[in-house]
Amino acid sequence: MLSEQRIRGVLFYASVAVFFVFLPFVLSSALGYRFDRRNFKFTRSGLIFIKTQPAGASVYLNGKLLNDKTPVTINELLPGRYRIRLELERYYPWSDEVTVEAGKATPLDKIILFLLRPNVKQVNRDRFNSFWIDEERQAVYYISKEENALYKSDLAGERYQKLADLIGFSTPALKYKISFDRNRILYCNNGQLAVTDINPDDRFHRGAFFVINEPDSEDWILDAFWHSDGYHIITVRKNHIDVIEARPGAKAVALTRLNNKNTSAFYDVRNDTLYFLDLEEAADGNTYDNLYKIELSPWIFPWQDLIKRRHNEAKP
Amino acid sequence: MSWGIILILILLAAIKPVFCAALVITFDFYWIVRTLYLTTLLVLAHQKLRRQKNRNWLADCRALKECKNWQGLYHLVIFPVYKEGLDILRPSLAAIRDTNYPKDKIIVVMAFEERHQPSRQLSEELEREFKDCFFGYLTSMHPDGLPGEARTKGANATWAAKKARDFLDAKGIPYERVLLSCFDADTCVEKEYFGCLSYHFLTTPNPHQASYQPIPVYNNNIWNAPSLARLVEISASYCQMIESMRLEKFVTFSSHSMSFKTIVDIDYWPVNMISDDSVVYWKAFIFYNGNYRVVPLYITVSMDVAYSSNLWRTLAVQYKQKRRWAWGVENFPFVLSRFFNNNDIPFLLKARRAFHLLESHVTWAIWAVIITLLAPLPVLLGGALFHQMPIGYNLPLITGLLLRFTLGTSLVWILLSRTMLPPRPRDVPWMKNIVMVLEWVIVPLIILILGSTPALDAQTRLALAKYMEFYPTEKKRKVV
Repeated sequence: MLSEQRIRGVLFYASVAVFFVFLPFVLSSALGYRFDRRNFKFTRSGLIFIKTQPAGASVYLNGKLLNDKTPVTINELLPGRYRIRLELERYYPWSDEVTVEAGKATPLDKIILFLLRPNVKQVNRDRFNSFWIDEERQAVYYISKEENALYKSDLAGERYQKLADLIGFSTPALKYKISFDRNRILYCNNGQLAVTDINPDDRFHRGAFFVINEPDSEDWILDAFWHSDGYHIITVRKNHIDVIEARPGAKAVALTRLNNKNTSAFYDVRNDTLYFLDLEEAADGNTYDNLYKIELSPWIFPWQDLIKRRHNEAKP
Repeated sequence: MSWGIILILILLAAIKPVFCAALVITFDFYWIVRTLYLTTLLVLAHQKLRRQKNRNWLADCRALKECKNWQGLYHLVIFPVYKEGLDILRPSLAAIRDTNYPKDKIIVVMAFEERHQPSRQLSEELEREFKDCFFGYLTSMHPDGLPGEARTKGANATWAAKKARDFLDAKGIPYERVLLSCFDADTCVEKEYFGCLSYHFLTTPNPHQASYQPIPVYNNNIWNAPSLARLVEISASYCQMIESMRLEKFVTFSSHSMSFKTIVDIDYWPVNMISDDSVVYWKAFIFYNGNYRVVPLYITVSMDVAYSSNLWRTLAVQYKQKRRWAWGVENFPFVLSRFFNNNDIPFLLKARRAFHLLESHVTWAIWAVIITLLAPLPVLLGGALFHQMPIGYNLPLITGLLLRFTLGTSLVWILLSRTMLPPRPRDVPWMKNIVMVLEWVIVPLIILILGSTPALDAQTRLALAKYMEFYPTEKKRKVV
């Protein structure tokens, strides 16, 4: 027992010695100091942190290959400039010269290594003229102007299908917009605005119809937006901003008049708010651009009774 | 104190992240060195245990000089029982009956609690079976609600010891010649236990000023226990093996032995404290003015792994058991108050022992919290400036190194655990061997859940004066 206790004593004091002797080195290294054996002094160093996407790239520091692969922390670097080169098979190499400062970390953590031969893949099956991506539903919508039809596929181009035939306009449609609930699409040129229901399972399905059919009108439709209810359309025209129900023969309600004949607008569908530019004449006689917004949430919407009516209509 | 350290570290992580990170790295490095040191002690203790396995201690007693007179020794074994049934108690008594030691030198006291209804019937059945196996077989029924008592194991053991004292007086056996073993109800001793105990008692200087601590292992149902419970109990065994090498800190734990004269001199166990197994040591330490120690016995006593019918209940059982052990922090105020009133113990000895006691409980309550929860805090709360500094990148590296190092030492623990297992029961498939190696990967999870939380819980309760009652651990020999 005595000899064991002696061994234990030696172990204990050896552990204490290891702790106190090496702790300064561990801490100084962690804090960015490097022990210079020649001068027997701690000098302040820096580090480079490299993280790549994908990981596992070989790292060359000033032309010398390091043992570790990315992500890697290169510690105890004296202040100065370092050449970094990253190599990963089948990917473009990445290289740069970075400056390391004393007591500071130089993070290179936004490096993306790109494939030498990017995997380019055709998504569409048939001819089309324009497309847009629905991130939320992971879908691609295609417009074929020759066929005047709307198609849809998933993001890989699979499950390609025709959704609906569109109404032919006197001049080609300029804008296509799908409602928030993805049940219908509106499309318009300067004088015509039509809606096509694209979800046959929707209880409000009506097929394709004109909402505005004024091809000769001088009050151009500049833009059109779906309200979040998927039934009202906000139209930005040359002289005013209107709201109109998406049904044949609906009457527009003017929300505001515009001084700017060529305004631009943005519709925040999550908050049902329309932002638009318009001119205002100031007291000094000059006109200035202002940004305005109209909130069109159902509960503050002055024509919310229209929504109710619409819902009542739908009930059997 | 534990909460103070944790809160200060959280505060530092927010306002002085670099300083906090440096403290965490210091603690991580300390933990690596400590783990290395303790694992070496564990290996040494394990080697000693293996060397002394199968040693015929009775033959060694016989070989002692005549003046030692081992034949004059009596072994008094007290089993405090609460809700344990025959499936638990019968093997414990059978193990004593089957020891390699003259049974006419063994006295057994089954100490039941009167408040538990089936106690009478149990006692009668056991009495019928074991009454004639020993020199004396006594049954005591500890009455409920005695003045000054709490519902603790110590109160039951004290009642039983007083009954045994009457028996010894009647037989004219001097207390100096009686060795008392107070065992948990599920304790199964090895064949050579009493020979080993007698040998150490007879060869230790001032044998009455010592407790004799065997190595507790949890082998009774280890093959049937779920991984989580098994790993926790193996860790508990390891802790005891390590402690057995650190004699200046060694304190009695669970089932252990001592002189009957000593227990009478120190007025038995505390009757109102939960951690009776360690408090009884401190009572003796103070009674003998610091000249009291624990002698390790490198022989195992086997107990049950505490588990229940499903994972969550097992977790709860383990948590409550560890919290009860951690309640041993109640020793600190007990010891400190008596140290103040005792001028015969050297000041340095008092200071050292008080520090050890406090340090062990504080470390228990904070180590897992620091390693698992507080270590990432400087990175999370440090802000942009912290992330521009080398320490912002080195802290996760060093914490990761600590985890890898812990996994490395786990390999040593796995190897040791394999050598301490009892033979695989026939109804347990061979594949269980594989499971019992692979299960070690859940150690980090166990550290997170059962590492520090029970100790923090116990200390918080003590600080808020929410005193605990003795919670008898649920034991099962088979999964329900």
